[in-house]
Amino acid sequence: MQNDTHHLLDAANQVILGKAHKIRLALCCLIARGHLLIEDIPGVGKTTLANTLAKLLGLNCQRIQFTSDILPADIIGASVFDAKNLTFKFHPGPLFNQMVLADEINRATPKAQSALLEAMEEQNITVDGKTYPLPSPFFVIATQNPSYQIGTFPLPESQLDRFLMRIELGYPDHDAERLLLKGQSRHSLIESLPVMLTPERLINMQDAVTDIYVSNAVLDYCQAIISFTRESSEYHCGLSPRAGLALLNAAKAWAFMEQRDAVIPEDIQAVLAAVAGHRLRSGNNDSAAIVAPILAKVAVH
Amino acid sequence: MVRHTPESVWKHSPCFKSMNSVQNKSILIFLLASIGLIAFPHINHIPKAVFAFFYLLLSWRFIGIWKQNWLPNKPVIFLLTVCGLALLYSQYHGVFGRDAGTRLFVTALALKLLEIKSERDLYLITYLAFIVAASQFLYEQSLLMAAYILFVCSILLATLVCLNSTKLQPFTALKTAGIILVQAIPMAVILFILFPRVEAPKWMLFNEKHQAKAGLSDSMEPGSISDLGMSDELVFRVKFTGALPPPPQRYWRGPVLSYTDGKKWTQVKDLRFRPILDKPVFTGLPYQYTLLMEPQDKNWVFALEMPADYALPLSQNANYQLVTLENPDKRTEYKITSYPGYNTGAITRIEYKDAMQLPGDPSDKIKQLVKQLHGFDSTSDYFINELLNHFRKEDFHYTLTPPLMEENPLETFLFETRYGFCSHYAAAFVYLLRVANIPARVVTGYQGGELNKVGNFLEIRQADAHAWAEVWLENKGWVRFDPTAAIAPERIERNINIDQLMPGGIINYMPADAAQAAFNWLKQSRQLWSNIDYHWQRWVINYDNKNQSGFLSSLGITDIKAMLYWMVGSIGLITALLSWLLLYQKQQAIDPVVRLYNRFCQKIAKRGLLRGPCEGAKDFAGRVKIKLPEKATSIDQITDLFIKLHYGKNSTPDDFKLFKKRVKSFKI
Repeated sequence: MQNDTHHLLDAANQVILGKAHKIRLALCCLIARGHLLIEDIPGVGKTTLANTLAKLLGLNCQRIQFTSDILPADIIGASVFDAKNLTFKFHPGPLFNQMVLADEINRATPKAQSALLEAMEEQNITVDGKTYPLPSPFFVIATQNPSYQIGTFPLPESQLDRFLMRIELGYPDHDAERLLLKGQSRHSLIESLPVMLTPERLINMQDAVTDIYVSNAVLDYCQAIISFTRESSEYHCGLSPRAGLALLNAAKAWAFMEQRDAVIPEDIQAVLAAVAGHRLRSGNNDSAAIVAPILAKVAVH
Repeated sequence: MVRHTPESVWKHSPCFKSMNSVQNKSILIFLLASIGLIAFPHINHIPKAVFAFFYLLLSWRFIGIWKQNWLPNKPVIFLLTVCGLALLYSQYHGVFGRDAGTRLFVTALALKLLEIKSERDLYLITYLAFIVAASQFLYEQSLLMAAYILFVCSILLATLVCLNSTKLQPFTALKTAGIILVQAIPMAVILFILFPRVEAPKWMLFNEKHQAKAGLSDSMEPGSISDLGMSDELVFRVKFTGALPPPPQRYWRGPVLSYTDGKKWTQVKDLRFRPILDKPVFTGLPYQYTLLMEPQDKNWVFALEMPADYALPLSQNANYQLVTLENPDKRTEYKITSYPGYNTGAITRIEYKDAMQLPGDPSDKIKQLVKQLHGFDSTSDYFINELLNHFRKEDFHYTLTPPLMEENPLETFLFETRYGFCSHYAAAFVYLLRVANIPARVVTGYQGGELNKVGNFLEIRQADAHAWAEVWLENKGWVRFDPTAAIAPERIERNINIDQLMPGGIINYMPADAAQAAFNWLKQSRQLWSNIDYHWQRWVINYDNKNQSGFLSSLGITDIKAMLYWMVGSIGLITALLSWLLLYQKQQAIDPVVRLYNRFCQKIAKRGLLRGPCEGAKDFAGRVKIKLPEKATSIDQITDLFIKLHYGKNSTPDDFKLFKKRVKSFKI
């Protein structure tokens, strides 16, 4: 089963150049049943990454471009009066897809943002007193512009917490950029990508991740990290219990991708920046720098 | 559109932590409470104004914990400092000495309390508080005070623990402080015993001369006292090497009063110029004892009658009384030998003159009494017997609260009131003997003493003060007579002490059995306590330069070099022992798998490749393999086994055995 992930990552690396670790984190997030937030300046390949993953996993994908005037109904759908049957009929919005790409989420008003984020948490949508389940697997990749850019509504902490991981893509290095400039367009590349994993297999993988063993030593390490963030003066606000669960889930998925049946401290260290970075933000957007004190000061158990 | 910066978002976030220890309430409460406790015993040592100033500022700071705005600003603090300095100056015009130093520290501590801005200030205050705590010992060195200071210091220590800990649990901090104190005890004992004692210059410490309580007075005026103060204050303690003398022989000799003006009895004025007499001829078994004098304002040492052997700084004056040539304001120990039987031999002319002195002619009434008791027409022995019988048979009473006898006290006592205590009887006895031409004088001192059964030593208190008579007899020399014994023999023989003296003043005993039992219990616990206190005084407070060298030479440590070797050696030993204990306990707590893995890491560390505490096993293996490619296989095997055993789900005992074997056989 783990071999599939390797092939998938190889194929994705052909499209998005020089970002192997970020793609790996994105896939890890997906396998851990979490949602992904990609934060970076426009044009570094956030949307391309989302499209590539959707294509490779064979998921139906819909993109929602968030703007400052988008309304909740534009995201979740609306009930429209059917003149023929004289009834209201619910027209599902773009959210009713296995993979949703929420582009530039922080340009929308808080009202529209929360419509999306509530659906992410609940895994279903309630309109006019009727509940509609969302498809499974359900995966949201949201992208946002750095908050210093004009025309952004920063996501509140409570909503940032809904995303399992936040990654930054960053500029490609020199060689990767050369290849990118030389090669054919990304659109046609994505079009030609084969489906490498069926949704059923993805669900199997997600189930397998929950069986990954976590020893007491790893739990000790995890708790040491959490209490360090709460007691150290480096952070305004420590990690919440939900953050602790998220960290452990992500580490399990990482261990699964590393073809192990138990989590080791290195798994936690590998996902820590992506999982904890946006939950510990202290005016700094660089996740690696935010979690550096943890990696340097909390002893492994 | 409003631009949000992350800072503005975070500043208003509800979970903004106030981890700043300067604002931490529990640390401040801890610190202020312990400082309040530390300075409190100074209530008797520093002027009330300084004391009040200190507690005023302390309570101000205390309120400031909750009302930050009420704390003084810089100009007010400056003003307060000026006030404090003025207060110090008005109370004490000087900068040297114990008192000035203590006041300065107390005032400085109070002022510093109002200026807590950083963690550094908290440390400074804690150290100042330790100094103030130590300054208590310049005034009082009792066991209780030591216990109190130790207790308060443990709270201060807990404050330091809190300051350095992220978990601010007061009771855990107190527990940690207690453990630290207990661990420090062996060190303290070694340093106490072995550290060279330095005698501090006198102006620095203990100018408590004016504070030493007046003990026995150097004059006696029986008629003017109507209520004998019965203080149970300790005067000295005696520990005998052999048997104790029986109570009737326990006379502790003090000043001898020969001169009287009719009311008052005093020592002869030129006593210090009198020639030292020959030693008496001693008979009977000697008593050897150690006498521990409490601080006194006079240089008298109360030896058991009659002292024979003693060492410097003791010397004997012309009245066979022992005096010390050193300052008596320190607790001092003396070794003395006394004989109960003695003969002082012939009387000198000057002694005779002193012992026959009378303030003018005696009245007819007195002459009549002496004549009636055959004072003029019989032997000395016969008259003395008659006189003692007279006291015994006539209506004389022993009381501690006699009526005042201002005019002609002697006659009033002998013929009218007939109520008195030892001084009255001794004075009347000596006076009547002198009228009958027999040389006699009054001896003051202490009589009896309470036996401490726990420590087997005698405690002599102010209440045991006594006066008796000494008569010179042909062929016998000076002989002791105690007329009080004729009136109240129980005062002498049963060894009454303050506990049994009823408020009425007349000797009495507790009637009820139950009360007696409770009383006995009280007495026993009191004796236990005074035994502990005796050893505290003897071994801790009195452990000076001389005692130290004595004690150390009994252990075979004779010179300062050996002393230093011993000190460094034993401290090193204790440190090693403590650290081994601490490390061993830590080792015990570690899982055997981790211990084996640590050993593996130690082996690799020999090649300069150290595993950081935050580095996972797999990462470490990857790093090491690059440097030691020839060992890659065994490193991988060990690391995989470690991961399986430590983090994995299905490890077997065989895995552990294999792991153990591989770690042991791993060579580098």
